[in-house]
Amino acid sequence: MADDAESYLLLVLSDANLPTGSFVASAGLESHVAHAVFHLGGPRDPMGACIAFLRDSVATYARSALPFARDAQRIIMDYATGDVLDPVSSAGSTLDVLARLDALYDTNTLNHVSRRASRSQGVALLTLHSKGFTRPAILSPPTDDTLSSEARNALAREKRVGTLLDEFKLRIRRDETFGHLPVCWGLLAGALGLSLDRGAHLHLFLHARGVLSAAIRMNAIGPYAAQQLLLHAVRPMVDAEASGARELRTGLLEPTLLTAEADEVDVFRDAEQMPSTTWPLGELLAGRHDLLHSRIFNS
Amino acid sequence: MAPTSPLQDDHGKTAGRGQITIRSHGADISFPELAYTYPLKLLSPRIVQDGVGVVYMLSYGGGLVGGDSVHLSVDVGPGPRLVLLSQGSTKVFKTRAGSRAAPTRAGNDFAATRQRLDARVAAGGALLLLPDPVTCFRGAAYEQVQTLRLAAGASAVLLDWYTAGRRARGEAWAFARYRSVNEVFVDGARVARDAVLLDGCPDAVHPLPARALADKMAPYACYATVLLFGPLVGELVGELDARFKEISVFQVREPLEVLWSLSAVQGQGRILRVAGKETEDVRNWLKEALRALEKVVGDDVYNKAFV
Repeated sequence: MADDAESYLLLVLSDANLPTGSFVASAGLESHVAHAVFHLGGPRDPMGACIAFLRDSVATYARSALPFARDAQRIIMDYATGDVLDPVSSAGSTLDVLARLDALYDTNTLNHVSRRASRSQGVALLTLHSKGFTRPAILSPPTDDTLSSEARNALAREKRVGTLLDEFKLRIRRDETFGHLPVCWGLLAGALGLSLDRGAHLHLFLHARGVLSAAIRMNAIGPYAAQQLLLHAVRPMVDAEASGARELRTGLLEPTLLTAEADEVDVFRDAEQMPSTTWPLGELLAGRHDLLHSRIFNS
Repeated sequence: MAPTSPLQDDHGKTAGRGQITIRSHGADISFPELAYTYPLKLLSPRIVQDGVGVVYMLSYGGGLVGGDSVHLSVDVGPGPRLVLLSQGSTKVFKTRAGSRAAPTRAGNDFAATRQRLDARVAAGGALLLLPDPVTCFRGAAYEQVQTLRLAAGASAVLLDWYTAGRRARGEAWAFARYRSVNEVFVDGARVARDAVLLDGCPDAVHPLPARALADKMAPYACYATVLLFGPLVGELVGELDARFKEISVFQVREPLEVLWSLSAVQGQGRILRVAGKETEDVRNWLKEALRALEKVVGDDVYNKAFV
């Protein structure tokens, strides 16, 4: 995709007002504050506390979720270009592969609060695509011979990926698949034509920005301080973690990984290449969110 | 099979192998196989409880060093309940005491200590893995992969826990790496993959302040995960569900001494997470919280765990 087209997409996708459901999620921040773990460094250092939380949260999310976002995007990119190798050979089997990826994320995401937040934000992204990002009829070019073959291909691609996303959403509605956030993000990023690295990087950036928005709403940090962090602290951590997670694989697209009867020699190598969480305390506290006596977020 | 001399794998490291096969015949149990090689040692004390077998997993010298690897395979038939225990925490050293050779970094292959468990449990059988925690000493790198393959109707309790290190020597999260993967399949389908990676030497991210592993794990010094599956843990799961739902957290001023969470996972299982400021707090908490397992393995056997 041309750089200017990608830059424009980034502008659209980074709009904080996009209805993605992220404004009801705090990624465990609310629980951390309630359990007096957030301010361990002392109450006078909200910025330090925010940086610490962001780092741990961004690091674990990168290692656990980005491989799924990237694989979902790989799957839809293969499908969109028609450059399809088995087993991703048609819409039906592409959807099956996506459902397996989705299920694998579910088995990797072991606290119910994070799972719930992930599913509600995932389906919201697909709704955003179908209602917000598809081409309105009034702007659709007439389907006649005056179109260049390039434009015709682009339209065909749009239609192809649109159908796939709608079908996937239908499967979520029918409870046939989970619709987890990283998987749906990968689908959206691939449908819009972002590059793999851009897609993963933006997803991680939006995760970090979501945490900062939650911190502002909770009054854990002021809005100007949050902007300072967004400009000066979030970028290096998102850059570092997105690139650190680049070589990880969910295992689903590599037939050598993930087999139930994995070769014993390889299980440790697989463990190294596959997703993991890196923040046990974050995991535990996120799982206690529903126990908070009063709360303003859903996760 | 009697213990044999040290085996060397193709990397020239010490590789211990173990096999436990347990079967039941009415109220009696038998071990058609109970075999092990250095540095792993398996001991099965005589147990009076019907249908229950106990095996202690020990390592010679009470610890493992960089490069050691241990692979234990477990096969639980229909009926028996097998309890796997250890005697004292698994100590992971960077190098063998007195050895001057430090583990070297060859590519990405830091000389890690590796433990592998693969277990199958048949319908009606149960595997209860209730070891002491793993304690990684300064500079140690530890990796474990544990795979449970349960038939529908099989039961399992998998406890996986670790501490901050030798705190008496002032060590807190001073190891190089800890990686643990627990995977559970029920009837061939993966229902849970619990993968944790703790990197003791995180890269600096300029210009952010340094954030050591100890900062990330504070204020807790011991973390535990318990996976629960199957009909024999039904009563325990019911108790834990009810107990967890009762909790209401008002804003606290100091972090709690012990913190726990409980989530349902696929395959009607549960995952229980516990963190504590002291290992003993976590041990006591677990012993009390899992006490319903007394009815599964008997009081005497249960009291051998968490000592």
